[in-house]
Amino acid sequence: MSAVADVFSYIAIGAGAFFFLAGTVGLLRFPDTLTRLHALTKADNLGLGLVVLGLLPHVDGVLNGMKLVVIWLLVLLSGADAGQLIARAARRALRRHPPA
Amino acid sequence: MSGASEPLTPAPVPSRIRTVVTRGAWLFGLWIVLMQSAKPADLAVGALAAIGATWVSLRLLPPYTGHIRLLVLVALLPRFAWQSLRAGIDVALRAFSPSLPLRTGFVEYRTGFPRGQARNNFATITSLMPGTVPAGDGEHTIELHCLDVSQPIAVEMAEEERLLARALIPGESHE
Repeated sequence: MSAVADVFSYIAIGAGAFFFLAGTVGLLRFPDTLTRLHALTKADNLGLGLVVLGLLPHVDGVLNGMKLVVIWLLVLLSGADAGQLIARAARRALRRHPPA
Repeated sequence: MSGASEPLTPAPVPSRIRTVVTRGAWLFGLWIVLMQSAKPADLAVGALAAIGATWVSLRLLPPYTGHIRLLVLVALLPRFAWQSLRAGIDVALRAFSPSLPLRTGFVEYRTGFPRGQARNNFATITSLMPGTVPAGDGEHTIELHCLDVSQPIAVEMAEEERLLARALIPGESHE
């Protein structure tokens, strides 16, 4: 049972790290503010979610598990909201100064 | 899966007291989950933090008539997880591809959600979907920035809206 949990954790946390890397590569390679937001909001949220999922089998107590999930949800919400605020600001800036 | 068991009465604007008590209880509960301490000094700090957070939440988001059907939303969780996975894989494939395949652009999506909290919640949830980030809105539209405008964005959004319309109930206009 614990070996299964370990393998699950390795896979989930490894996949999480992969998506963090993908988000960072996107942040560096994508051409503009709005496109970079995609990389950060999608890939990092998923990365964190997978890391949390991988840690869950190893926490003791339901409350500790809930804590991890709540942290993920808070990051998810604040990321989605902050991402939208930046997107709206970038869109307004684009309207004021359209690219030549 | 269906929310049919829940009452469909048009909810009146909740009283300020009720809003304060509900939000305060949720925020204090959140503190307890995050801190996990039963020491009186910690609980006192937590209570103060919850009071402060409730005050801020009333300033930023006054009581409103709309509401969220939590059970319907929870039933949709597996779908959100799947969409989130698709979105992450989509971004990863594009980011790692040597040719950087992007066809970015804006799509005006026509929505049935009136401006307000329900639409904001809808936009927030859909910002986790593959390839779209909400970047503005009009009277009846949400403007989406898309990684690839050749994708069937409007079709996917409409499907999402159909499902979420049962969970996110708009209130009276409160702008």
